[in-house]
Amino acid sequence: MASYSVMKENRPQASRAWISWTLVLLAHLVLFFISYTLNQQQGVSQKLLLQIVTVLSLFVGLTAVGLVAQNRRDFIPAALLFTVSVLFVEAMLRVNEVPAGLIPTPSRVVVALYNAREVLMLDVFYTFVLEALIGFVAGIVIGVLASMAVARYKFLELGILPYASIFSSIPIVALAPVMVKAIGLEWPSKAAVVAVTVIFPIIVNVVRGLQSASPLHLDLMRSYGASPMRVFFDVRVPTAMPYFFNALKISTTLSLISAIVAEFFGTTGNGLGFRIQIEAGRFNFDIVWAAIVVASVIGIVFFSLIGALERKVTGWHASYRS
Amino acid sequence: MNTLLQRTLPLLVVAVIIVLLYYPLMIWANSPVAQRSLETGADIGCKTVSECVYMLRNPVIPAPAQLGEGIKSLTIPPLAPTSAPYNALVTLGEAIVGLALASAVGLLLAILLVLSGSFERAVLPWLVASQTVPIIAIAPMLAVILGQYGVQGWFPKALIAAYIAFFPIVIGVSKGLKSPDPLQLDLMKTYNASRVQVFTLLRFPASVPFLFTALKVASTAAMVGSIVAEISTISFSGIGKMLAENSRASDTIALWVIMFYGALLGIVLVALINLLERMVAPWRATRS
Repeated sequence: MASYSVMKENRPQASRAWISWTLVLLAHLVLFFISYTLNQQQGVSQKLLLQIVTVLSLFVGLTAVGLVAQNRRDFIPAALLFTVSVLFVEAMLRVNEVPAGLIPTPSRVVVALYNAREVLMLDVFYTFVLEALIGFVAGIVIGVLASMAVARYKFLELGILPYASIFSSIPIVALAPVMVKAIGLEWPSKAAVVAVTVIFPIIVNVVRGLQSASPLHLDLMRSYGASPMRVFFDVRVPTAMPYFFNALKISTTLSLISAIVAEFFGTTGNGLGFRIQIEAGRFNFDIVWAAIVVASVIGIVFFSLIGALERKVTGWHASYRS
Repeated sequence: MNTLLQRTLPLLVVAVIIVLLYYPLMIWANSPVAQRSLETGADIGCKTVSECVYMLRNPVIPAPAQLGEGIKSLTIPPLAPTSAPYNALVTLGEAIVGLALASAVGLLLAILLVLSGSFERAVLPWLVASQTVPIIAIAPMLAVILGQYGVQGWFPKALIAAYIAFFPIVIGVSKGLKSPDPLQLDLMKTYNASRVQVFTLLRFPASVPFLFTALKVASTAAMVGSIVAEISTISFSGIGKMLAENSRASDTIALWVIMFYGALLGIVLVALINLLERMVAPWRATRS
């Protein structure tokens, strides 16, 4: 009886899902067709018609994605939004015959991504492994040591924490040229910029975390006669963990951005930031976009890895209970 | 008064330690450079290494006297097109316009996110993903493209600043708009309040603290955006243009001075937002 009523409730939704899927497919097909059948120049009236059809199919596609999103809670609506937008950009650029030197179509970017894969992999090695990752680790080690000292001594807290919060409102780009000039054009200068930018969010967050231990827990530990070391590792460190991971997540993005910006001020000829700037100057925007895609993928993977680690370490925390 | 002393004394002690460390650090960093310039035999106006560290043309860390000289020459007269204060004001203007644009777009997107669950499911994953993208990488390209379509001067910089700053605002404000607890929303429902009323009476006031926290994050982002935009386009004024120029000319003293101005700019912008917060939401500012 119960299952019958569930079925009955799902009926109208199922039929609407069928319609919305058809519309999504239709929009994709039309946009794809427009993109890949255009080979010769079109007349003005033809162009206008194609523009109208393109915009119309975007509208249909978006409405259909909206309908799909109404009864799906997974990643599918987001994925559909992505494919519809990419196909729309491709079709629109082709219909309007925007020169590839100005804005490349997504398909050209994919081709550039494949053609320049070796150069880009080397760039990734420089920007991500040597600069962002080493700087990130160095910044975390220094930041955590500093915040332990700051949390331990009230004097340091009053003396250093205000500077740290002021420092975090300074635009990093202003710091990068000085450090690059001081340390040199090789990768260590960029790693140093990354480390400096990572240190301050770590200090601000970890100190807050170490100090957020509940007085009740601390009292309990004192009644057990626990040593300060035990209190630190059994109470303060676990309470600080969510704050620490929050800082780590902020720092993943920060470290990539600082590495890329620092490369704008001089490198030995490698790195995604260098590639982006030099190729933007030469109007090779397909390679620029390919480098941006690579940088984004690294950013997302880096962020997700830290997120997965967080889930593993602080899975007990309230934000993971549902 | 006593607590004020307790608060400022550590700050002063740390500042004094930094100042005292400055000299040994400077001598240590500059010595190899001084050594090398002495070995070339060029006349640089000094005989020994310990003398030269104070008067290098391109020191790693400038001596205080050099720094003072540099600040003076870049600051006076303050409104000349080559002076740092004038250029800092240009960059500040771009960042503020960018921030205003970012707030408008961010607010609109946040309202849409809260109003429609389908919109949220389709768009939010991409907004979150965009947080992990080094958006700064897009600035050089965006600058060139906008220039091609005839958008030049300070406006493209403000646009790039806005582009970089609007994500924190969307995320912050939508969190704020969702922050009223279910009890309050239920109460509004029992009053038969309309959607508009729920927004104006409950959701908007609740989102104000989140808006200001987001604005502080966004302000640094906007500043970085406008500076990077100035570096990567043809620009005639702004901190970024000065940085790029002096970086190319290897004028390290000027770079240090500009760095201080950039730092000052970031602090001023955050202070301005704090002031605004105190005016708009005094209950929040006095609490923290």
